[in-house]
Amino acid sequence: MKKNLAGLIYTGEKTDRLRELTVMRSVAALPVLGRYRLIDFLLSNMVNSGIKNIGIILQSNYQSLLDQIGSGREWDLHGKRSGMTLLPPFATTDSSNSYTGLLDALKSNMNFLRRNEERYMAVSESSFLYSLYYEDMLKFHLDNNSDITLAYTKDRDVRRHGTGRYLDLDDAGVVNNIEVDPSLPRYGNTYIGVFLMRRELLIDMVDRATSQGLHHFTREMLVKSLARGYTKIMGYELASKPFYIDTVGAYYNANMAALEPEMRKSFFNPERPVWTKLRDEMPTHYSSDSKVSNSLVADGCIIEGEVEDSIIFRGVTVRKGAKIKGCIVMQDSIIARGAQIENCILDKQITVRENAKLSATPSYPFVIPKNLTI
Amino acid sequence: MLQKKQCVAMLLAGGQGSRLGILTRHTAKPAIPFGGKYRIIDFPVSNCTNSGIDVVGVLTQYRPLELNAYIGSGTPWDLDKNTGGIFVLPPYSTGKDGEWYKGTANSIYQNMAFIEQYNPDYVLVLSGDHIYKMDYSEMLAYHIEQEATATIAVRQVPWEETHRFGIMNTDENGVITEFEEKPANAKSNNASMGVYVFTWEKLRSHLIADENDPNSNNDFGRNIIPNMLSQNEKLVAYTFDGYWMDVGTIDSLWEANMDLLKDPPPINLHDRKWRIYARNVGRPPGYLGEKAEVSNSLVAEGSDVNGIVENSVLSGGVIVEEGAKIYDSVLMPGAIVRSGAVLNKAIIGENSVIEADAVIGEKDAEIAVIGNNTVIPQGHKVAPGAQEGK
Repeated sequence: MKKNLAGLIYTGEKTDRLRELTVMRSVAALPVLGRYRLIDFLLSNMVNSGIKNIGIILQSNYQSLLDQIGSGREWDLHGKRSGMTLLPPFATTDSSNSYTGLLDALKSNMNFLRRNEERYMAVSESSFLYSLYYEDMLKFHLDNNSDITLAYTKDRDVRRHGTGRYLDLDDAGVVNNIEVDPSLPRYGNTYIGVFLMRRELLIDMVDRATSQGLHHFTREMLVKSLARGYTKIMGYELASKPFYIDTVGAYYNANMAALEPEMRKSFFNPERPVWTKLRDEMPTHYSSDSKVSNSLVADGCIIEGEVEDSIIFRGVTVRKGAKIKGCIVMQDSIIARGAQIENCILDKQITVRENAKLSATPSYPFVIPKNLTI
Repeated sequence: MLQKKQCVAMLLAGGQGSRLGILTRHTAKPAIPFGGKYRIIDFPVSNCTNSGIDVVGVLTQYRPLELNAYIGSGTPWDLDKNTGGIFVLPPYSTGKDGEWYKGTANSIYQNMAFIEQYNPDYVLVLSGDHIYKMDYSEMLAYHIEQEATATIAVRQVPWEETHRFGIMNTDENGVITEFEEKPANAKSNNASMGVYVFTWEKLRSHLIADENDPNSNNDFGRNIIPNMLSQNEKLVAYTFDGYWMDVGTIDSLWEANMDLLKDPPPINLHDRKWRIYARNVGRPPGYLGEKAEVSNSLVAEGSDVNGIVENSVLSGGVIVEEGAKIYDSVLMPGAIVRSGAVLNKAIIGENSVIEADAVIGEKDAEIAVIGNNTVIPQGHKVAPGAQEGK
């Protein structure tokens, strides 16, 4: 059925604390949960909510993101009346070719906002892994006569000292105050960088904010409009636990959470499949020597060794006598005979040589950058 | 007329597949799941894509719903094209005498107009029930080089099995001199694989002649090939020595699945240069739990395993509860095996549920088969060789 809601995904997050994982890719292009990239969840959330028109704002390092989304076909976003619009940075007279933040990016893509026909717009940043039913959020928005609805969580694991955006809500869910990057968050509600509002209002607010020289969407624009009291901002609580992917440790924990049955249920509702780029791999073969427990394993792997508490991406080979525990192993990596790795994140196409040993602690996992042989 | 194509493929997918018993009661044979994530039709269609053939007509007749839905617009095989694609061709009515396909040759005859749109030089005729990887472009090149009317792919079968096949007797140059259907005393062991390349102009006139013969069965093997031979057309055999399996019976379907578990498997599906494509179902990675003991098995994405699994093929979305034991079995998509159930040499149909403590089949006995969407009640026993279900 036709929904009056368009989507926009911003992928320009700053990523220093993800270290090697985001040197060559944006946060949205991070491989997650065995066969996905983060953007797959952001897109699938929207597509499964009936959103058929989605813009993706690209920043630097977007090659791997483009490679992932292709024509948008896997998400059914290659239609005539609908589809996906890629919005790469470009230089204009009033902006350089790199966005300073979401507000700047919205301003630069005013044409995309204007050209859409949908009355409402859902905008998602890409630093959270979450599942959200936008149709429910839109209903909430309409039922409450909200001007801007912000998605938030009460979950404590996404709170950080010195970063994050926290909402002060009254009993009815109205946002009274927003604090941005406090060294000690005072409010228990963490905004996850997803909002929904009327498209015309968004255009108007972005235009006014940028003409007044503002640069920050939340810190300046939202906080100012709250202070003026003209706009009604509501908080919409997520039904399931989201994950803030801001550090290597947080990235590791988000993946490992998928080993919990309850979390898998919330990530993978069979009625709302998470779509991703296909690799047409055959099912994984477990040899008679293999021993695998509490692990997620994607297609196309050959498992001859031991795998425990791990996330194994597509096309990984684990040879006889190799032991992997508490690891995230990205696609096409090869773990040779007798190698032992514990609590490591192996980026794509890593070769771990025979009998090599690598061990870290779960609280500070090692990252092995792409294409290395160790 | 559309853009000219050198070669158009026609895939015979209309047979009932009655030898597969309960598995094809509601589903056409080419739509039967295979190898954990494929359906049989993925093999010939992927072969076409990988061979550079981008017009594929699929001749359907029996229970086509699942097959039609599966083929869709042909996206999984890159066959959703402006200048070609995959087309489902059911029998149709022509005003006064619409009719079912009378035989394999008749099904092509009825779709001559489809073929002629592309003005092809050659037509490739394929079957929808074989598991193999074959580069049809090499066979086509051989056909062109030989200036043949028909090229028939053959493989050498053990002499003691020749009585089960259509046997091609050839001269020293590979020219077919005689065709014998299931001979008692074969003169050669070159068995037809059901893969033919025809020069279209020649095939066209033979199809028309065959249609006008009231005594014909309108069948390639029984009529078209013998008639071509008797009219001294040049028919050549093209030897294929790769893996090929006719999965038209319960035994061979099970066996072909088990072949994927051999070390090394006789057919390599990890081959990145010759992918077998399948429709995307959007399932998460497979999960193996704390109690999982999986050995020499294929486990596809979307499955959740907490029991013992040995020498088996588990398709997408299969659930194996703690305490369940599965040996030498093939589980089709969405099958659920509850705690304490034991499967030995069984094939479990799509979305069927084996309730707790049920026992299906026996080790090294005949294959037990459970149909699709079937619930086997708690503690129930299904004997080897039995077929149960809807």
